[in-house]
Amino acid sequence: MMKVVTGVVGNDIHVVANRLIDISLQARGFEVFNLGVNTSLEEFIDAAVETDADILLISSLNGEAEGWCRDLQFLRSEYALKDVTFVIGGNLAVGEAKQSDLAPKYKSYGFDLVFHQVDLNTGLDEIERYMSERS
Amino acid sequence: MSKLLIDVGSTYVKVCQKSGISQYFRDFKKDIYDDLVTKCGDIFSKYAKEDIFICSSANGGLSTLIIGLTNSFSLKFAQNIAFNSGINIIDTVLYSKIEESKYPAELVDVVIVVGGIDGIGNVFDKRLLDYLQNIRYSNIVYVGTSQDAGFLSMHIPALKVLGNIITPKLHINEGELKEYLTNLYQADIVGKEDIKHLYALTANQIYSTPYVVNRSLSQIDANFDVVNPFIVIDIGGATTDIHYSHDLVRDNIVSESGYDRLVFKKLGVYKSRETLIFAAKNNEFVYELLAYLHVTENILEEESEKALRILMQLSIFLVLYKVSRLNPQYVTLHLELLETIVLTGGITKVLVFEEVEAIIGFFYKKVMNIHSIPNIVMDFDYAIWTIGMEDNEPKEQKCL
Ligand code: B12
Repeated sequence: MMKVVTGVVGNDIHVVANRLIDISLQARGFEVFNLGVNTSLEEFIDAAVETDADILLISSLNGEAEGWCRDLQFLRSEYALKDVTFVIGGNLAVGEAKQSDLAPKYKSYGFDLVFHQVDLNTGLDEIERYMSERS
Repeated sequence: MSKLLIDVGSTYVKVCQKSGISQYFRDFKKDIYDDLVTKCGDIFSKYAKEDIFICSSANGGLSTLIIGLTNSFSLKFAQNIAFNSGINIIDTVLYSKIEESKYPAELVDVVIVVGGIDGIGNVFDKRLLDYLQNIRYSNIVYVGTSQDAGFLSMHIPALKVLGNIITPKLHINEGELKEYLTNLYQADIVGKEDIKHLYALTANQIYSTPYVVNRSLSQIDANFDVVNPFIVIDIGGATTDIHYSHDLVRDNIVSESGYDRLVFKKLGVYKSRETLIFAAKNNEFVYELLAYLHVTENILEEESEKALRILMQLSIFLVLYKVSRLNPQYVTLHLELLETIVLTGGITKVLVFEEVEAIIGFFYKKVMNIHSIPNIVMDFDYAIWTIGMEDNEPKEQKCL
């Protein structure tokens, strides 16, 4: 069973998507560790370490995601993390922005998959495809 | 039948009979037994051994070093449990950094090793064993993933393995580790050579004073004008203790309900005066605070009655500060929810109500930005300790 750590990053309290993600992932057969809203990046990484997770699925809804992304590379290097797949989704910019502009940017921060305003099920299908290609 | 209650502290001894409480300064040239017999021999002779109850807070405190896999889970959970068991954390080691971590110079009473949820393995390896080779410790306990317990038990002599403190859902599981640490602490305090001699005076088990105080908390509201949630601050000669109800901790840590205790080992007004002054001088509010109390910094160097009162006021301030949001490294209590502050210990013999009120008022105004303060209750005659002692009496068997 693949393990996913999920939650909403930073000072962000939009909880509805988080609940949906938890339920949808379980329905798809993932083991879910849900850290809920208001989760720091360090907590995400730490949870992945403690659970030996395969996927780290971060949500950000309030538009502040970019602010803390620079820490990602640093934190990733702090631990000898195994092959964790980093995924981010939600509203990844303030105001109008295109997925095609945002994806390369977030990938350069260290994310493997980026879903700006992408419907959840479409995104989860994509994650499953990515994971099965990897293995 | 009347009883004799005795509390052996680091600085003085309290003796409580039906007729009232008396206290005596400790004579450090003598061991505790001789000291007690010299001062109170005639009192002891009036009571049967069965009616004498002793508790001790002298030289209390165990030290721990925690080695954990991550800051947010392993180390955070273990630190929390250690704090709540009254153990002093001398250092923490993040496992990924263990090769660069320094070794504690002193003998560590208990090393705690933790990491990973059950089900994952190979978290710990030779790096842990190498590190342990270089430190001195009396006990070592493992509370991480059960998969690694076998490997570690094989290589670490006398390793105590308990249930994982991290649940499969990444929540905290306090139970076993807390009990283990509390028992170690209890065994340490009453196992001290000079405390052991006191069994010549009593037929009852000797407890640690904080344990006794903690036992009385559930009955405090029946005996005092106390509204929940409350804290009890016990300022003594060598340490300061704070007991608090769980309602005051809104951590994302889910734990059992009840009361917990923090000990600030070197925040006492007599035996650890230097550390107290040092802590005070490094506090950002201290000059404002001294000005507010109409004294200057020089008072801290003085040996006067006035200086002692100021130090006691400072220690109230520092303890509240340590558990406030301004000091996030420590357990954070939601002091804005606090209804009552109860003060007990030597401090109630020195400070008057107005002095306590003044310092708490300053704290709430400056640190919390709140103009009303919790209700203050002063336990002038050690009633909290008496309740806890009396409550102890018939239940436990002497187990030492
Ligand atoms: C309800 C709501 C709130 C509530 C939240 C209550 C709660 N506890 O959840 C309240 C009123 C508290 C609130 C506050 C704020 N909000 Co608001 N809020 C909304 C609102 C109206 C609905 C959000 C919602 O629950 N949607 C339902 C869920 C199911 O949808 P979703 O969140 O969009 O998630 C879907 C997808 O994004 C996706 N998804 C999410 N994560 C991931 C991850 C992956 C990997 C994938 C594949 C997909 C995915 O899947 C979900 C299902 O399809 C939206 C506007 C909107 N219509 O979307 C604004 C909105 C999210 N909020 C916004 C803002 C700005 C705020 C505030 C900053 C407002 C303020 N100035 O105070 C604060 C922020 C507070 C904080 N610290 O976070 C903005 C964000 C703007 C941006 N990103 O550019 C929005 C978009 C409104 C807007 N158009 O301006 N908000």
